[in-house]
Amino acid sequence: MRRESYVEIDITSLIKPFECISPDLSLHRVAELFSNANYSNVLSLPIVENGIPVGVISRYSFIDVYLKNYSRELNGRRPIRFFMNPLPILVAHDQPLAEAAQHVTKHMKFPLTEDFIITENGRYAGIGFVVDLLKAMELQMRENAGELNQAYTRLKSSQLALAHSEKMASLGQMVAGIAHEINTPLGYVQNNVSVGKEMFTQVEVMLASYDALIDSLLDDQVGEEQISAQMQQVTELRSNSGTREMMGEMQGLLGDTLYGVAQISELVLNLKDFSRMDAVSTETVNLHDCIESALNIGRNVLKDRIEIIRDFGELPTITCSPSQLNQVFLNLFTNAAQATEGNGKLTIRTWYENGSVHISIADNGKGISPEHVSRIFDPFFTTKPVGEGTGLGLAISHQIIQKHGGDIRVESHPGTGTCFYIHLPAIATTAQVAEMLPLAPDFVQSEETL
Amino acid sequence: MTKPTILLVDDEERILRSLRMLFFADYNVLMTTDAHEATRILREERVHVIVSDQRMPIMQGSELLSIARETSPSTMRILLTGYSDMEASIASVNEGEVFRYLLKPWNAADVKEVVAQAAAIARATFATQQSPRVAVIETAKHKLRILVMDNDQATARAIEEILQHRAEVIWAQDEEHAKEILAHQNVSLVVADLNMGGKSVSYILKTVKQFNPQTQIIVLTSFDDTSHLIELINQAQIIRYLPKPIRNNILARNLEFVIERFHALGGSPEMQQRQSVEPVKDEQERLLSNKFMGMLNRLRSRPGVEQS
Repeated sequence: MRRESYVEIDITSLIKPFECISPDLSLHRVAELFSNANYSNVLSLPIVENGIPVGVISRYSFIDVYLKNYSRELNGRRPIRFFMNPLPILVAHDQPLAEAAQHVTKHMKFPLTEDFIITENGRYAGIGFVVDLLKAMELQMRENAGELNQAYTRLKSSQLALAHSEKMASLGQMVAGIAHEINTPLGYVQNNVSVGKEMFTQVEVMLASYDALIDSLLDDQVGEEQISAQMQQVTELRSNSGTREMMGEMQGLLGDTLYGVAQISELVLNLKDFSRMDAVSTETVNLHDCIESALNIGRNVLKDRIEIIRDFGELPTITCSPSQLNQVFLNLFTNAAQATEGNGKLTIRTWYENGSVHISIADNGKGISPEHVSRIFDPFFTTKPVGEGTGLGLAISHQIIQKHGGDIRVESHPGTGTCFYIHLPAIATTAQVAEMLPLAPDFVQSEETL
Repeated sequence: MTKPTILLVDDEERILRSLRMLFFADYNVLMTTDAHEATRILREERVHVIVSDQRMPIMQGSELLSIARETSPSTMRILLTGYSDMEASIASVNEGEVFRYLLKPWNAADVKEVVAQAAAIARATFATQQSPRVAVIETAKHKLRILVMDNDQATARAIEEILQHRAEVIWAQDEEHAKEILAHQNVSLVVADLNMGGKSVSYILKTVKQFNPQTQIIVLTSFDDTSHLIELINQAQIIRYLPKPIRNNILARNLEFVIERFHALGGSPEMQQRQSVEPVKDEQERLLSNKFMGMLNRLRSRPGVEQS
């Protein structure tokens, strides 16, 4: 928050420079002052000795004194010292307004009978009206509410930016994984093509020498010598075992090449499926498709090391934002893979119960320590080293599931593994579907940049 | 002369079938999808070059290559991978001590050339001695000279502390200072950060290794960029890549190892060949490297000449 734009009203502006009175002034004299028109606005008069405020006498307290029989005659000449409130409310001129207001409201009595005293370095500076103070406070709050709103907007947009960067980070990881998956088939496809190209050149040479030989044989003009040289050349080419072997292998290599190209197309399709760049944000889908899509994309982190056990029940289709749920699943799979050292198991169960779709995702990794479990859905909570995790993955997952009207919770036993439970209403209400949308613009945007 | 033997290891059979086509004419090609099978072959046969994938079930390529280093030290080790993650790249330097780190998809002609070079080097190693491990360790005539390239003097101090009087440690706090030192004296070891004053000094390391293959280069940095590291493997044959900050005992252990390697290489041009480098590829780096190489050639005679 930029400090300079914060409105701060000065206490000094509230000072009413009424003349103070001495504690030795008689009750009579004070009563006269109160009846003076100049003092008609004040509730009380400040009592000051040697510049230091020592008390306050209110109009109200006169009632107490004067209501008693003969009290006026008996006490009229006595100094006000005996009747004053020796504990006035003091506010320093340089005190922040909010702090002063807090102090005054804490100590003032009802009905409001006294004004407060403003001091400068402990010495009397004037009196202040409580009503003025509260008005000033209100004004300041109103002014600052705008500022607060701006700060809130800024905070919100930076939160969105962070959520976006988390999405981009996991997207980056994903793309790196996919790139690897593509590089393997691309490796042999490219190599096979260049091998084929080289072979094609050799076959061309071979064919040319066959052609030349046949042409010579059919041509009466060509002599024996030339024919025998050409025969020699053809024989040499025929005996080149390399070309023969290449030709023998080429059929298989072309088959591999087609297979590789199909694999690459499938990977690209998976990627497209996963992000649903071309789809509106909510759709009616079977969650098993989302799970499979996320497993496909996460294959790179799970592959070889982690055995996937699918224990799928019958699920009705649900209305949801598939790309958001894909993100949740991928996040959970990636976390599971990272929590598992060496080989492990990931058990995914789904079932339908009481109008809800349930998913449990259990790994047998290292688990989460009890002091961390309660915090794993907190934004920015991460146990990974700086730079490796934003600490937003699970926070965003949590938010996505909640927007879907569902819930996500975790159970973990250090050493044995972690299980995430998700349940989602099978029939989302219209309100819930609409609820999913506020999150969407951000994510749709990031998908467009994919 | 019999054909050299090449061992191809990848969990994808199609990669093996495809690679075989590049080599079957000139090599005795062995291949397997099983890393355990590969270690058996390395024990039982004379393999000149092993080309391995990194990501495989059972065993990572860098691990397989580090086993190869033990069981068949003369075999030249090449990694061929589609996934360039930092962890794998570091392991391929520190554990696998790979000759080249190649990426999928590859260029057929380039891979053929690299393998041919590796096979020729392996042949020379096999011919001169049983194992590069038992190479004669010649006692250094002069004290070791270690150049530390780092903005911060702490690294130089730590190395001085570890090696005490055994080595002369020279600290270069910037690029120009480092070049100045290298232009005037032979250096046994370079311990370098990759960035000095915000500038990349990789080209200095690449040039030094070209100029004198016996010089051993340790990178000690907090900077990590995989593509950069792969270049340093292929073009500077760095022997260790250590993350900063580093504990003194780990630094000490690595220094001892590299010093031993330096001595082992001293007496043997065949061994030095094993760390020969690829030319610098990046256009801008090549300009800088050529300029620096010119300076080295002007100011110093070749180390081989100087020593004999």
